[in-house]
Amino acid sequence: MAKVLVVAEIKQGVLKSSTPELLSKARAIGASTAVVAIGSNIESLVPELAGAGSDTQYIADDPGLELFSAGPVAACVVDAARQFGASLIWFGFSESSKAVAPRVAAQLDAACATEINDISLNGDQIEVIRPAITNKVMQRVKVNTEKLVAVVRAGAFEATEGISGTENVVKLSPPEMDLKALVREILTDASGEIDLADADIVVSVGRGAKDQAGIDLVRGLADDLHAGFGSSRAMVDGGFMAHNKQVGQTGKIVAPTLYMAIGISGAIQHLAGMSGSKVILAVNKDPEAPIFNVADYGIVGDLFEVVPILQEEIRKIKAKQ
Amino acid sequence: MKILTTVKKVVDVELNMHVKDGALVEDGMQYVTNAWDENAVETASQLKENNGAETTLVSIGGGDNTDIIRRCYAMGIENGIHVDDPALEKADSSIYAKVLQKVYEAGDYDLVITGKQAQDTDSGQTGIILAEYLGLPCVSNVIALEVIDDQHIKVSRSGDTGTEIVELTLPAVISVDVSINEPRLPQMRGIMMAKKKKITEMDLAALGTSADEVGADAPKSEIIEFMASQSRQAGQKFEGDAAEITAKVVDLLANEAKVI
Ligand SMILES: Cc1cc2nc3c(=O)[nH]c(=O)nc-3n(C[C@H](O)[C@H](O)[C@H](O)COP(=O)(O)OP(=O)(O)OC[C@H]3O[C@@H](n4cnc5c(N)ncnc54)[C@H](O)[C@@H]3O)c2cc1C
Repeated sequence: MAKVLVVAEIKQGVLKSSTPELLSKARAIGASTAVVAIGSNIESLVPELAGAGSDTQYIADDPGLELFSAGPVAACVVDAARQFGASLIWFGFSESSKAVAPRVAAQLDAACATEINDISLNGDQIEVIRPAITNKVMQRVKVNTEKLVAVVRAGAFEATEGISGTENVVKLSPPEMDLKALVREILTDASGEIDLADADIVVSVGRGAKDQAGIDLVRGLADDLHAGFGSSRAMVDGGFMAHNKQVGQTGKIVAPTLYMAIGISGAIQHLAGMSGSKVILAVNKDPEAPIFNVADYGIVGDLFEVVPILQEEIRKIKAKQ
Repeated sequence: MKILTTVKKVVDVELNMHVKDGALVEDGMQYVTNAWDENAVETASQLKENNGAETTLVSIGGGDNTDIIRRCYAMGIENGIHVDDPALEKADSSIYAKVLQKVYEAGDYDLVITGKQAQDTDSGQTGIILAEYLGLPCVSNVIALEVIDDQHIKVSRSGDTGTEIVELTLPAVISVDVSINEPRLPQMRGIMMAKKKKITEMDLAALGTSADEVGADAPKSEIIEFMASQSRQAGQKFEGDAAEITAKVVDLLANEAKVI
């Protein structure tokens, strides 16, 4: 039987949706499941980790793991994978996962597949499906090793309702710090903002908004909807938006219920990050903008005129609901 | 400081891709330098200009890579190594990393700079796996770099909760994101000079290794099929009076799509 180790995604003490999603998939393919949780002050998450569908919880809880550092995190994952005898090691999609997964694979002499959309097991044969060439094509990849380390794209698997595992905690000894790659500090952005990765609605702003005033206008729309507020690369390069607000191939990959692209042209690198959204709304003054090729609803118009009307109409609808 | 940068020749992603019988249709494809590698080259060139670094690039595979490598010379890189071998045709990230390990060990490098991923595979693994094989510290997704002294650099990494500031002891491996810099356009003079520079061509034997040693005869994973992407269909597009069409779309969001 396959043994799946899921690397819990924890951000600021909160367990992210990728963890129950990956555990659900693991159970659906009939694998035995474990989870490894790494961080500082995270032991209290054990009931939630079991509830998400894991039957063993490997816990590395140490003050030294407060600031993310890929080396020590990889060491914990490798430790848990060895103890559990994992054949499949799955990460949710994040910058941290992308930094850690290849290290784990190298240390376990396993194959590594990033950004996978699906995985199948046929006896011992593992195969994955993943996009490549900026999402222009899909690849079917055959794994020739017994072990696979995989980073799964956001929204690839759904959490099953009503599953739960059992509590069985195994404490991991704290890893050595990586003295040759010392993390000095993490400059965090404004706290309290809604995380793009698990927002139900994401509103993103592009170069069409021009400047800070335009950004603030679009941000108002995001606030009204309690939506995550993202951006195209143009606004990050312009210095208006923080780097980790960027949606796209080089940034966050999001798959919300509703994605609003405001003043974004729809370059392939941007589409690679949001085309998995359930419903897409685009506002652009150029009727030929490629974003309209993927949008379920398109408004051809000047965002400075359209956004306030959007806000007003949404307010009216909400009042009626 | 001796720098090794990696440069991959990749298919031009801006062109349309076609799939036939499980394979990419090569006809009409064009090849360019991997975008992130241009940022790696720019980073190396700036370290040459500002800190007197010595710069070497290595490119693996791709057949005739002369144009790609010359372009990097014109951007400021001093030495170029091209490793190609029929055995590398199906190479995965770990095989590339093994070949790079051999190249690294033949030089005496202080810093390896790779692009954070290659546009043909979008895997983002090679540099990180290389660091593991070499036992070197590594930071991926780097968006800024500062030299502290001969043995230390400070890098900014774009992480999940913000910008991570990491002090690296050299030798080290970093992978860079496109936002680290704006790659320069080669100038006429540089292009002319680049034509005269030599490129060191090597196969695995010349590199002192073999298909077996780099794992090329037993790849850990292999692509068995390409498929067309399931592309989204364009939906309803509204033009006309802003107030009218916006109200219409909000109504559709609420009552048709039921997402607000
Ligand atoms: C290797 C690589 C990786 C990349 N990664 C990413 C990534 O992760 N994410 C990303 O987003 N990009 C990425 N890019 C950049 C991408 O190619 C585009 O340059 C970028 O997405 C453009 O951003 P934009 O749509 O905001 O700007 P533009 O392309 O300039 O589009 C602005 C749009 O606004 C519209 N507009 C202007 N004024 C108004 C108005 N008043 N009202 C309404 N509409 C208006 C215009 O019609 C236009 O369509 C990457 C590029 C490369 C090479």
